[in-house]
Amino acid sequence: MEQFTYFWEAFQDPWAQRALIASCLVGLMCGVLGCFIVLRNMALIGDALAHAILPGVVFAFVVVGQSVLAFFTGAVLAGLVTAIAITWIQHNVRTKNDAAIGIVFTAMFSIGVMGISAISRSGSGVHLDLKDFLFGNVLGVSNEDLYLTTGITIYVLFSIIAFYRYLFVTTFQPVIAETMGISVNTVHYFLMLLLSVAVVASLQTVGVILVVAMLITPASTALLLSDRLPWVLFISGIVGLISAIIGLTLAILIGTTPGPAIAVTATLIYFLAVFFSPKKGLVINYFRKRKQQQKIQLEDTLKQAFRLSEQGELTIDNLLAKLWFGKSTLNKHLSTLRSKAYMEQNKSELILTQSGKDVANKLVRAHRLWETYLVNKIGLSEEQIHEEAERYEHLLTDELLDEVDQTLGFPTTDPHGSPIPSKKGRPLFPLIKLEVFKNAKIAQKQMSEQITVKLWELGLLPNMTFSVQKVEQDFIEIRSENKHIKIPQELARKINIETLN
Amino acid sequence: MNNITISVKGLSVSYERKMVLSNIYLDLEAGKICGVVGPNGAGKSTLFKAMLGLININTGSVLFNGEDIKKQRKKVVYVPQKNDVDWQFPATVFDIVMMGRYPHKKAFQRMNNEDRTIAMNALNEVGIEELKDRQIGELSGGQQQRVFLARALCQEADVFFLDEPFVGVDITTEEKIIQILKRLANEGKTLLVVHHDLSTVNNYFDKVILLNQRLVAYGDTETTFTEENIAKAYGGQLTILHKTGMIE
Repeated sequence: MEQFTYFWEAFQDPWAQRALIASCLVGLMCGVLGCFIVLRNMALIGDALAHAILPGVVFAFVVVGQSVLAFFTGAVLAGLVTAIAITWIQHNVRTKNDAAIGIVFTAMFSIGVMGISAISRSGSGVHLDLKDFLFGNVLGVSNEDLYLTTGITIYVLFSIIAFYRYLFVTTFQPVIAETMGISVNTVHYFLMLLLSVAVVASLQTVGVILVVAMLITPASTALLLSDRLPWVLFISGIVGLISAIIGLTLAILIGTTPGPAIAVTATLIYFLAVFFSPKKGLVINYFRKRKQQQKIQLEDTLKQAFRLSEQGELTIDNLLAKLWFGKSTLNKHLSTLRSKAYMEQNKSELILTQSGKDVANKLVRAHRLWETYLVNKIGLSEEQIHEEAERYEHLLTDELLDEVDQTLGFPTTDPHGSPIPSKKGRPLFPLIKLEVFKNAKIAQKQMSEQITVKLWELGLLPNMTFSVQKVEQDFIEIRSENKHIKIPQELARKINIETLN
Repeated sequence: MNNITISVKGLSVSYERKMVLSNIYLDLEAGKICGVVGPNGAGKSTLFKAMLGLININTGSVLFNGEDIKKQRKKVVYVPQKNDVDWQFPATVFDIVMMGRYPHKKAFQRMNNEDRTIAMNALNEVGIEELKDRQIGELSGGQQQRVFLARALCQEADVFFLDEPFVGVDITTEEKIIQILKRLANEGKTLLVVHHDLSTVNNYFDKVILLNQRLVAYGDTETTFTEENIAKAYGGQLTILHKTGMIE
């Protein structure tokens, strides 16, 4: 309570309010702008530019004195010199791109640091603190500073909204931007300009060294949380803003430097997203993987139990010998199987129920169909396929399996010669096998509801008699009650019929 | 020959003093699908980039409807290879397809319902309308190629450049793409397709350009895509092609 009062009183002071507003503006602006820096893989160049404006600011101080506008001009000029120098080296000298960036920015930064110590030693009475430039001095923000920061924030955010399309297309696919007549270079330099002014605005809040944290950390956080660029921009801005508020508050409460406190807060939020992002977080991924693992173990238990029961050797010990996990795990899965009524247990004797056998049958079918597919369609050899199929049998959906079955032309044996169990209700005699001018009737039982509906739409009802008129490449024409009906090949494979003699 | 939409005269391109394309002359007609065929390193992609004004050319000129590419940007669309894109980019299928409308918009003009309808129609035609809100990285190779084609359709251009549109796509997608390309040709568009599967050249293309740094042959597929011309373009590689069954 006492701390809260202290905190409340602290924010009553104008300097604290100015600090809070400045931090929020910088957090918001850098968050939004940073998304493009991250997506364009420009984190290093952003860092470089932030360091490199230092000599510009120092030079402006020497010439004009303590003037925010002068700092601003000097910084932008230094930013431009840096960008041009880097590009020139990259194009004309045989030096690697990232090395070129490193050479230029360390040189510029060093010149700036030397300038500051020279001024401090000259005894001119002015005090210029290197630390303020490196880590910011948000508690010393003046009204003039605040106006400039506000102006820059509005300018940067407005530019991003206004030129959103250009930024989007040049970032995603520069070559397409060029063919649309958008100059990728112009957009690049415009972004560099925005970056330079954003760094100047951040100078007092977080300083040149930590501004890169404000640019890349909230943006990386937002990219873990959303898949749409407008949302990424929005979330990143908010994360930057929240980091600024929490960081500054913490700094005042525990009496530390605000800039680093803001950067550390942003990093903490980033790690929260790394672990707990609902779509891409490590925690959800872990549970997803574990669930998949559990499913595979359960299905393998059922499948092996099925094989053993065919041979009349289904006991826990035999089962354990066939499986790749231990007794306690097996017991857990056995109890799941019992609760699903796939299995009954009488002391150490295990009995598969009919529904258990059906599910196991499905797995065996998936495994053998997939093996057949890999050999016949992908061209893998018989030795390569077992492990693949062992993995995929758990992933294939019913629809996909039917598709595979059909593509393979309903095979009866797998590449090893083992029988492939047929799907329950699969056409015993599909329409496609009927010869021309032979008579037949639509069977009562079809493979699925969908087939029955499709037949109904074509005007074909169960037990209706018909004869095949002709077989074309993509359809079969039949005649029923003096009506001619064309049935697509694909459907004809799935229609169950009964032949009439 | 009338209806000439693209005219290439004496085009030469070099990278660091190495000649990649030399002295290419081409007149391309509207309403035709033209395949660009040649061995690796023949300069197929370079030819596209040079014609599209994406790289500097040493000599020569490329005119679209008698004008420089800069004045015809809206009318010309490029479908690049799909592998040089960051598919993890935070964008949906619809976002990417809407890009096709950008050339029709001035800097501050907003997208309207008409643009959205055109984008939806394009998605419908390529058959992925139900995937419009998917993040692009969640698509299969074939679906990704359909996204790029839908974006190109959206631009309502007259000239289409497609770089290897059939690489890494499933058979259904390949059929779909060729069906759309034929529809576009029937409507009088000009289509250029870089292609490497020699076995489908006869079925897919009205005209064929055989390229190997210089123009080996160009003309109607039936008369130009001959064993003799293929041999000239591919040189020693031909025996390998025979063995792998790429050509008969």
